[in-house]
Amino acid sequence: MAAAALGWALRAARQVLPSPCPGQVRSYYVDWRMLRDVKRRRLAYEYADERLRINAIRKNTILPKELQEVADKEIAALPRDSCPTRIRNRCVLTSRPRGVRRRWRLSRIVFRHFADHAQVSGVQRAMW
Amino acid sequence: STSSLLSAEKDKSTASKGSTTEGASKRQEGTAETPKQKLLDLIGNMKVEVSYRKKLQELKASKNNKQDMNALEGPDREGPQRTTEGIQRGKPLNPELVKAASAVASSLPLNKKKTESELLAQLRRHEETTDKQKKGETINIRNVISEMAVKKQSPALRGVRISISLELDDDGQRIRPERFSSQSFDSRSLKGGKRLNIFTKASTEPEHALKTVSSPTIWDLEFAKEIAAITAQPPRNGFEEMIQWTKEGILWEFPIDNEVGMDDGAEFHEHIFLDKHLEGFPKDGPIRHFMELVICGLSKNPYLSVKQKIEHIEWFEKYFEEKKEFLQEI
Repeated sequence: MAAAALGWALRAARQVLPSPCPGQVRSYYVDWRMLRDVKRRRLAYEYADERLRINAIRKNTILPKELQEVADKEIAALPRDSCPTRIRNRCVLTSRPRGVRRRWRLSRIVFRHFADHAQVSGVQRAMW
Repeated sequence: STSSLLSAEKDKSTASKGSTTEGASKRQEGTAETPKQKLLDLIGNMKVEVSYRKKLQELKASKNNKQDMNALEGPDREGPQRTTEGIQRGKPLNPELVKAASAVASSLPLNKKKTESELLAQLRRHEETTDKQKKGETINIRNVISEMAVKKQSPALRGVRISISLELDDDGQRIRPERFSSQSFDSRSLKGGKRLNIFTKASTEPEHALKTVSSPTIWDLEFAKEIAAITAQPPRNGFEEMIQWTKEGILWEFPIDNEVGMDDGAEFHEHIFLDKHLEGFPKDGPIRHFMELVICGLSKNPYLSVKQKIEHIEWFEKYFEEKKEFLQEI
C-alpha cells in the first residue's frame, strides 16, 4: 500500500496521467489546492470500508462502551485526509471552491460561459 | 401410379438378369458407371425439349441399374424381397444381406475380405440412394415440371410477366405467384438444381487448431497495439464516433442495462441468508447481537456483491478476535 501511494504521488505531482483522447489535453491540475483535493478523494476511497466498519462499532448501544472507546481511538489514528468530509466539490476547470453546480461540476462563471456558447447540452437562457 | 410401375419394372429386371457370373472387376466397373450414367442423364435432361415420358424412363433406367447392382451382389436370394426388406430396415444393413455378401465374397476367387468390404459398402450406398430416391422422387418430378415451365416461355417474356405480377398484386397477395416464379428462378440459379456429386466436399479441417502459443508475449501485444493504432481511422460519421465511444466506455450500451457492473451471478439466497458466515462468533452476548444486526443490514443492501458482504463479516471477525483479551477483562 505504501509503494502504491508513493507511485501515485510520484506520478501525480501536479500532473494528470496521459489520456488517449485526441482533444485538448491539460497536463497539470489547475492548482495545488485541486491536487490536494484529488489526494483526499483517493484516500477517502481507500479507507471508506474501514471507516464504515469502525463507525458501525462506535455508533451503537449494544456493544460495551470500552470497546467503543477503543474504536474511537482507532478511527482517529487513520490518516486525516481519509475523511470524506474533507472533500470539497471544486470546479473542475477553475478549481473554484464556491458557486459550483454539482450536476456539471463547474463553477457558475464557467457554466455561464459554456451555456452562452451553446456547449452545455439541454441548457437554455431562461425566459418566462 | 409411378411407384407401382417402378416396382413391376424392378421384378422384371431382376428376373431377367438372374444369376450372373461376373467377377469383382465387373462390379467395380459398374460402380464407376452409375455416377457417370447419372451425369449423362442430367446432361441429357438439360437439353431444350424434354418430354415427361422420357424423363420417367430415364429415372426408371437409373433405378434399374441400381437394382442390377443389388442383383449382382446376391444372385442366390430373391432380389425384390431383399431390396424391400432392406428399404424397410432403414439405415442398419440387413443381416441377411450381410450374410449374402459374405457368401458371395467367399465364392469368388479374388481377395475375399476386400471383396466383402466392398460389397458391404456398395450395399450401404445403394440403400442410401434408394432411400433418397424414395423420398426425393416427388421433388424430382416437381423440378422437372418447373424446368419445363421455364423452357416454354422466353426469358424476356418471363421477366415481363413476373414484373407485371409483382406490380399488380399488393402486399398480401404477392406470395403465390412470386413463389412459383422464385422456384423457376431457383432452377436456374447456382445453388438450385440437382447435385452432380462430381466434387468431393472439401473437408475444412482445423489444421491450425493448436498452432497458437500458450500466452502471447509482450512483443506480440505491443505489435498488436501498434497495428491497432495505425489502422484506427478517425470516425467518418457520427455513428462510428458513437461506436468508438462505446468501445472506450464513455457511452453506455443501449438498451440500458441497469446492472452492468453489478451482476455477480449470485442467487438471492446468497445475499439474504448470511447466517452461515456467523459461525466464528460466540453464540451469546452483545457481539452476537451486534453481528445479527449487521447481517440484517447487509441482507437488505442491494448495492454490494456477496463477496463484499462476506469481506465485511470477516473483518469484524478478525477485529473481535484481536480484541478478545480486552473483552475478557470486561
